[in-house]
Amino acid sequence: MRVTDTYKFGSWLLVLFTLTAPWVLPLLVDSFWVDIYSEILIWSLLAASVNLLLGYVGLLSFGQALFFGFGMYGVAIGVVKFDLGFWSAFIFGISLATGMAAIAGSLAVRLTWHYFAIITVVFSLIFYFTALSWKPITGGDDGLPFTIPPIISFGDYKLTMTNANFQYFFIVTIVGACYWLMYRVINSPLGRAFVTVRENDARAALIGLNVYLIRLTAFIFAGFIAGVAGALFALFGRYASASYMFYHVSGEAVVWAIIGGVGTLFGPIVGTGLMIVLREELSSVWDHYLLLVGVAVILTVIFAPRGIGGAFKALAEKIARQQFSRKESGP
Amino acid sequence: MKSRKKTEIQEVIQDNSRRSFLKKTLTGGAIASAASLGLMRDVFAKESGPIVIGHHAELTGGFSSWGYWHDKCAQAAVKVINEGGGIAGRKVVLETEDTESNPAIGARKLRSLIQRRKASFVVGSVHSGIMLASIPVATELKTPYFSAGEATEATGSKGTRYSFRTGTDTYALAAAGAPWAVENLGKNWTMIFPDYAWGHSHHAEHKKLIESMGGTVNDPIAVPLGTKDLVPYLSKIPEQTEVLFSVFFGALSVAFYSQSKSMRLDEKMKMYSVSGTIEAIDPRDIDGAAEGVFFLENFPRPLEYKDDEYHKRFIEMMNIDSVHAEEIGSDRIMAKSHAWQSYENFFALKAAIEMSGWQRDSDTPGVIEALEGLEMQNSLAHPQGSKLLRAEDHSGMIDCFISKVEDSKFVVKKRIPRDEMIAKLPPRYDFRKMSL
Repeated sequence: MRVTDTYKFGSWLLVLFTLTAPWVLPLLVDSFWVDIYSEILIWSLLAASVNLLLGYVGLLSFGQALFFGFGMYGVAIGVVKFDLGFWSAFIFGISLATGMAAIAGSLAVRLTWHYFAIITVVFSLIFYFTALSWKPITGGDDGLPFTIPPIISFGDYKLTMTNANFQYFFIVTIVGACYWLMYRVINSPLGRAFVTVRENDARAALIGLNVYLIRLTAFIFAGFIAGVAGALFALFGRYASASYMFYHVSGEAVVWAIIGGVGTLFGPIVGTGLMIVLREELSSVWDHYLLLVGVAVILTVIFAPRGIGGAFKALAEKIARQQFSRKESGP
Repeated sequence: MKSRKKTEIQEVIQDNSRRSFLKKTLTGGAIASAASLGLMRDVFAKESGPIVIGHHAELTGGFSSWGYWHDKCAQAAVKVINEGGGIAGRKVVLETEDTESNPAIGARKLRSLIQRRKASFVVGSVHSGIMLASIPVATELKTPYFSAGEATEATGSKGTRYSFRTGTDTYALAAAGAPWAVENLGKNWTMIFPDYAWGHSHHAEHKKLIESMGGTVNDPIAVPLGTKDLVPYLSKIPEQTEVLFSVFFGALSVAFYSQSKSMRLDEKMKMYSVSGTIEAIDPRDIDGAAEGVFFLENFPRPLEYKDDEYHKRFIEMMNIDSVHAEEIGSDRIMAKSHAWQSYENFFALKAAIEMSGWQRDSDTPGVIEALEGLEMQNSLAHPQGSKLLRAEDHSGMIDCFISKVEDSKFVVKKRIPRDEMIAKLPPRYDFRKMSL
């Protein structure tokens, strides 16, 4: 089996599981896990936005929760304050997050490494405190719950996210579209420019690449992905809260991306899934479960520094090499 | 001959048809009866398995000093109910999930309680953000949810047919305490609070009432979040202030009382607050900083101000002393003005389940209708006192108490009967208009 075949097999297995989860999961475990899997898919987009910056452009952002929060508040404020419908609120949330990413990015990507990480935390904190204090608009620390508008309505018939299966497939479709978009961008000349900047920004500039513009494009794209995650999570939870904008949330996404494997497309899903399932199971048996989560993270970083995605890639390559050498020394 | 044979054959066929018809009819009838018995069994049969009630509590995180008591109350309630024969003869199973004092985790834990742990009813969070995040989830999953936080929205603009609260919200606290405080403490008020929803909500509700009674409310002082040193904000308090109303929480509350005391503000004006600001805090531990402060409470700390058998038994169950509400064998102070809800709500559910004849989740609308307007008498089930769960807005109408800290002890100065509160607290919403 070639390396690409192993990847394809793994990817198709993930796709097959995702498409059949509402029926397969209740056969194996409780139907509650379908909701958890929906959450994993949504949160994986936040981790994917970190991965996009860290894994492909070399920028470590602790501010992705800011765009997640903007996506989330965009939907909630759109519904509650502007009486927007489902699609308008969804698009409003994503636009708000992308716009904020463009503003923050225009300043942040002038910096790199720890300066970049610090400025993203600062942006996150400014808007976190603003959201917490601006009660008339954001609901302050109480947050902003809302009733979800119907997606389509014909007379008395209304299709809403309250239909569990519909909600699941809506999330799968949007998340799937985002991963497809990321795949296309990563494999395009722009994606190669991202990697060139990550590897050596001075050389990238010497060969004529506009490093600032490339970093800014990546930052806005990552903000867009985080915004989609936030907008989806608001629709899933029927609620927006400033607590999701706090830099701790960004930190969690960084951990998920590292565990899953930065620089791999589906690594964030694996990392997010593993950490959320671990958290869900451990939290019901021990209040201080975060200690165990911490241990798991340390072990992963020590024994699989490239993350689970990276370890999977290394394993697939090893198998392929062994098969190749067997063929070479064949009868 | 031919015709005779034909007639015989026809008779045989007819006979066969008749027999087969009878046979099929009887068989069909038997199957139908069996099926119908099977179906009707579900309609009339009584369930005998346990009733699962979820508890959505802050066992860790910022509210854990309160959550500990909510958990203790829930466990005590379930123990009392099961020792008394359960609910409608069925054992109660308590399933508890920790919200970690975080709305994101809280919403997921509520789904876990209902979908995974199969809770039919949930006694909910005291954290306003968590309860507001939880109400849409509980409503969608058609599960009654009792919240214990103070945000008015839970039984107001964001409330639903499924959200209930036996305790008070900022609207009720203003209606209960402000009239007495304006009359007895002064008419010129300044409010100081951290710059977030809880403080703003108290400010808005109190301002309306104070001004309607001819009082004056100076510009509020909203302290930015994360502030440790309150002196710059305390120095902004206008000279003419007669009543300083503060709404802080936890460590900041202790900082407020200590710093205002050191600035001798208590000598220039009366200090007034709500129980949430001193909940789980012992005045003895803050070196007299809370001395002379008036607090609006839901449940007096010392036994002597509601001296009856039920309160005494409740104190014994909680294993606390009867003056300071301190846990025997530890230095924890009971969050008494809020945690009682996590005890009493189980009994409110028990009454409603038994009144409605609830058997399974499809009968839940009956429980909601029974909860709407439920009268609860002072008893071991309701040691805080008699109360009404108002039908329109699902809000608890309870007695409140104005206490003053004297010699580090809470001394009740005035009991505000629920009828007095109801008169100043007309319902602003009627959830009964919402379908079930």
